[in-house]
Amino acid sequence: MPSRRRPDRAIEIWLIALLVALVATVQIRSQAEVEKSLVGTDSTTLAFLIDDLHRANDALSAETADLMQRKAALQSGGSPAADQELTAEANRLRAIEGLVPVHGPGIVMVVEASGLQALDLQDALNNLAVAGAEAIAINDHRVGMGVAIVQVSGGVTVDGEQIMPPWTISAIGDANRLAEAADLMTQQMRADRRVRQASYRVEAVVDIRAVITARPFVYANSS
Amino acid sequence: MARNRILGVVGLAAVALATGFLLAGQVKAQLLTPSNEVGRYQALVRSVQDLEKTNEASRAKIAALRAEIDALEGAAAQQSATTRELQNQVADLRAHAGLTAVHGPGVEIDLGNGTPAPDQAGGIGYLINYQDVQDVVNLVFARGAEGVSVSGRRITPLSAFSGSAGQVVIDQGPPLTAPIKVLVIGDRNRLLAALDDPASLLDLRTRQVRFQIALTVAGIPDLKLPAYDSSLQIPHVSTS
Repeated sequence: MPSRRRPDRAIEIWLIALLVALVATVQIRSQAEVEKSLVGTDSTTLAFLIDDLHRANDALSAETADLMQRKAALQSGGSPAADQELTAEANRLRAIEGLVPVHGPGIVMVVEASGLQALDLQDALNNLAVAGAEAIAINDHRVGMGVAIVQVSGGVTVDGEQIMPPWTISAIGDANRLAEAADLMTQQMRADRRVRQASYRVEAVVDIRAVITARPFVYANSS
Repeated sequence: MARNRILGVVGLAAVALATGFLLAGQVKAQLLTPSNEVGRYQALVRSVQDLEKTNEASRAKIAALRAEIDALEGAAAQQSATTRELQNQVADLRAHAGLTAVHGPGVEIDLGNGTPAPDQAGGIGYLINYQDVQDVVNLVFARGAEGVSVSGRRITPLSAFSGSAGQVVIDQGPPLTAPIKVLVIGDRNRLLAALDDPASLLDLRTRQVRFQIALTVAGIPDLKLPAYDSSLQIPHVSTS
């Protein structure tokens, strides 16, 4: 009898071992698949990325449509059309580069604080740029590419001039998007011990009179 | 005896069957969540990939359209001195806005992720983030940079930096991840001095020590920067 029971037991043990191995393999492979695909980016980050890409692609479509319109105007009109297009383009680029006074809808943010650094101001300006700011000034100093925001012993300078508190930041752009960003920024600032007061207001017309002085290229050459 | 054996085998089979059903049920229940998770995640990844393809195609189309417009303006400028004068003005403005490719002396800055280590920033202090890139770009512009590109993306007066957990999003481009290459045209000596100053880029330098983040700077005699290939619209701005 014992010699007949031994093979039966061996088969039972093998079957159980096989089953356990199968379940373990399926489970481990499934988990590994999840982990492998999630490397680096979680679903929430991906969802935000999708939102950003949709917004970016919409902006690119608008730019494409605008360029196609300009191309069509140039193709049909000869020199007069070219003059008109070039004049409009020059005015637009001067506004983008901060070379002329501008106005439009936007927000005005006022920050009363002591001890804020140049990095704080740069972060604030970048947050407004992310929210679609098309022109920005702080305490009547236009900011833009090439305008140095520097930390000095007495505080922060913009293009060489010290910016005394309170900081009044004016931004032109989509007022709703700018207000959303300003709301979040002022909430965060109020939680900062260095900040005594931070507020913003939405305005139908924000007037930015300050301009940046054009600097000719010394090192860069057109390719 | 034989009857007992048959009953024993049947009983064992029934227990094995019940165990099998229980295990199958358990396996199915446990795998359901991860399978759905994978499916949802893959759908999100596919969406991102599709949107990035559209993004790339749109940017290529914008670059091509700008080149065509430039050629048409050039042809019109051949016929009129006024048009030629206007075209020169616009060419200069476009170059300053980053809309044309430029070359010249400058510096190359390479930023690379470090080694993971415990930190207070949620364990991601070893990753290069958008604020690192923003700090480098601000520093070089403050030291007279005339043109900057970040991993092939030209910086303009309206450029903005965003992103999360090691991703760097610039304007309407797809997210970039380290290694990040920043090319800068300008006064090489002034730029190198600013980038080598231990008082500059403090956060990056601290993390360079702590996480071995890579921050290398080299002077280059002639760099090439691409033209900006995205949107530069200001629909809410009016000139006075």
